[in-house]
Amino acid sequence: MNRISIALDNFGRAVLSNVEEMGKILLLFVSTLVWMVRPPLKVRLIFKQMEFVGVKSIYVVVLTGTFTGMVLALQSYYGFRMFSAESLVGSTVALSMTRELGPVLTALMVTARAGSAMAAELGTMRVTEQIDALYVMAANPVKHLIVPRIVASVFMLPILTIVSDFMGIMGGYFVGVTILNINEGSFVRNITRYVDLDDLYNGLIKAAVFGLILSLVGCYKGFNTSGGAEGVGRATTEAVVLSSITILISDYFLTAIMF
Amino acid sequence: MFSISTEAKVGLFVLVALIILGYMSFRVGEYGFGLKKGYIIKAAFENVTGLDKDASILVAGVEVGRVESIALKDGMAVVSMRILPDVKLERDVRVSIKSYGILGDKYIEIEPGTRGVSSLGEGEEITRVEKQADIDKILRDLGTIAQDVMAVTASLKKVIGGEEGVENLSAIVRNTRELSDNLNKVVKQNDEKFSVMVDSLKNAAMQMDKTFSALSDITERINEGEGTIGRLVNDREVFDNLDRTVASLQDITDKINKGEGTIGKLVNDEETVENLNASLKSLDRSMEGIDRYISKAEQFRTFLSYRGEYLFDTSDAKSYVDIKIQPKQDKFYILGVVADPRGKRTVTETTTGGTTTRKEKWERDELLFNLMIGKRYKDIVLRGGILESTGGVGIDYFAFDDTLKFTFEAFDFDADRDPHLKIYGEYRLFKHVYLMAGWDDFISDERNSSPFAGIAIRFEDDDLKYLLTSSPIPTK
Repeated sequence: MNRISIALDNFGRAVLSNVEEMGKILLLFVSTLVWMVRPPLKVRLIFKQMEFVGVKSIYVVVLTGTFTGMVLALQSYYGFRMFSAESLVGSTVALSMTRELGPVLTALMVTARAGSAMAAELGTMRVTEQIDALYVMAANPVKHLIVPRIVASVFMLPILTIVSDFMGIMGGYFVGVTILNINEGSFVRNITRYVDLDDLYNGLIKAAVFGLILSLVGCYKGFNTSGGAEGVGRATTEAVVLSSITILISDYFLTAIMF
Repeated sequence: MFSISTEAKVGLFVLVALIILGYMSFRVGEYGFGLKKGYIIKAAFENVTGLDKDASILVAGVEVGRVESIALKDGMAVVSMRILPDVKLERDVRVSIKSYGILGDKYIEIEPGTRGVSSLGEGEEITRVEKQADIDKILRDLGTIAQDVMAVTASLKKVIGGEEGVENLSAIVRNTRELSDNLNKVVKQNDEKFSVMVDSLKNAAMQMDKTFSALSDITERINEGEGTIGRLVNDREVFDNLDRTVASLQDITDKINKGEGTIGKLVNDEETVENLNASLKSLDRSMEGIDRYISKAEQFRTFLSYRGEYLFDTSDAKSYVDIKIQPKQDKFYILGVVADPRGKRTVTETTTGGTTTRKEKWERDELLFNLMIGKRYKDIVLRGGILESTGGVGIDYFAFDDTLKFTFEAFDFDADRDPHLKIYGEYRLFKHVYLMAGWDDFISDERNSSPFAGIAIRFEDDDLKYLLTSSPIPTK
């Protein structure tokens, strides 16, 4: 009896804390929105974050995009060969990249690279009481720290996704046409035939949402760090895990809504 | 060290990404841009299963548009197609739904119409819609066919599948083998006999050869006229007759041979034979005569014609009566008399003291004669001889199945005067009745020239024909 009550107790507490956390994240998002539209806009800070989130993620994104496209081409080639439909490899790669893999993989890579960094950075500032200092200086930490990161992420994720899509298709083209000797004309023609503008743009919308999720979660986790250096480490881990899970789950719902 | 600002880095990166995005959008939506300007045409299909919005519309395999929308109307699927503005589709194009391969996507195929037919405009409908090949129906039909094939194989299996069937088959094979064995034996056993047969055949042929040479000897002597038979053969008439009568004689002789009675004795009597011989000869002669008479009579055609011409300028009338004898289709003779009011011209020349006086005299009531031979080459007839009592030639040209005839005649050639030339056309009005018009003596230097019109009656005369062809039959 006692053990059951303890189990229920733990379960209830977990649910409560999760709901509480979601509420807090939502509140942070609302206050971000509020502070975002309040002048003056910290353009320099936004650009700095853009450089950090976007420009410095290029190598990672280019590599993941290219190799994802290449392996997709290789895998789908073996499947399509059974139906003598090798020329459909191009459209498969292009559709997968633009609709799904481009946005998701980019978001996951950026989460690992920038989301974790945000959590660690803000967490360190929290535990070293720099955030409190900002309050003392009458500078709102949401406006100075969180808004630039979120704006930069929402803006840069689609940009990175474009690069990822493009590199993925190029990788698929390289493998399909150069290595697997698929007819170049029908390869390209099938891409243009089966891929619509909607596929491309919906992927980019997804990427923007993922950007919001990863930056929001990263900032939240960092902003609410407690417990010294250990706490910073924990916040970083939690940020990456929560962001990744949220990205993948929301990906399903976004796909269901959009396509 | 050269460094670029944060803003520049971000700006450059975003710019590059946007260029890539623009490129991809352009390639992917390549079609979307120009197409929105295109025009819409419609077609009502019975069934558009598998056809999606944005499916391709191909003409000769070239994409000219996409499916804009599919709507249901009166139980038919009305497909709106957006066609590129610079593509013109004739009003009689045929439209059908096809698929890339058996499992591939559906698309709409438009077969071009006739060139020059007016083009379809915005919102108009294609009327010639072909039914879509229904895969389900094909598969169902295939299933039925497979069942039929199975029924056939099953009955076949019943016939030859069982042990009995196998036995029967092997019995057939065994019989065939025995048969061929027997055949082989027969051939082998009779090999010698065959060769003997061939040898005797050869002998027979040699003897035949001898017989023939003897026969030729005999026939030679006959040809030379030796003996009774020779005489008989050389008399062609008798021979010809014999040929024809032998068949009937065969009959009679058979009977006589059998008879051996009165007739048999009669035949053996010398006198009877002679009598018979004589009567046969006379019979043959008359037969040949009849033969010749009939064949000639059949070929021969005779035409009688009367022709009257009125000469306008001289106010005179000329009359012709002709007999045309046509022994062959392309050969004829014309005999005729002409009554010319001008009469017959006689020239007398008298020479007194080195000067020659020339006197022309026209005798009004003299008749002129025509005597011509002619030959016909397809539509052209050439003839010549005596024309109006002078030498002359004529040419006729026939047109429209001989209903129209153009004639040119030239006669009365004289060194001092122009020849008499005559040209006219003749038209067959009814059977036997002809109208004609022309110009007589049109280069005359004696004021004899005149246009003329006339009428002719011409018919084939059978009585005359028989009169002419019945040559006297020689009788003994």
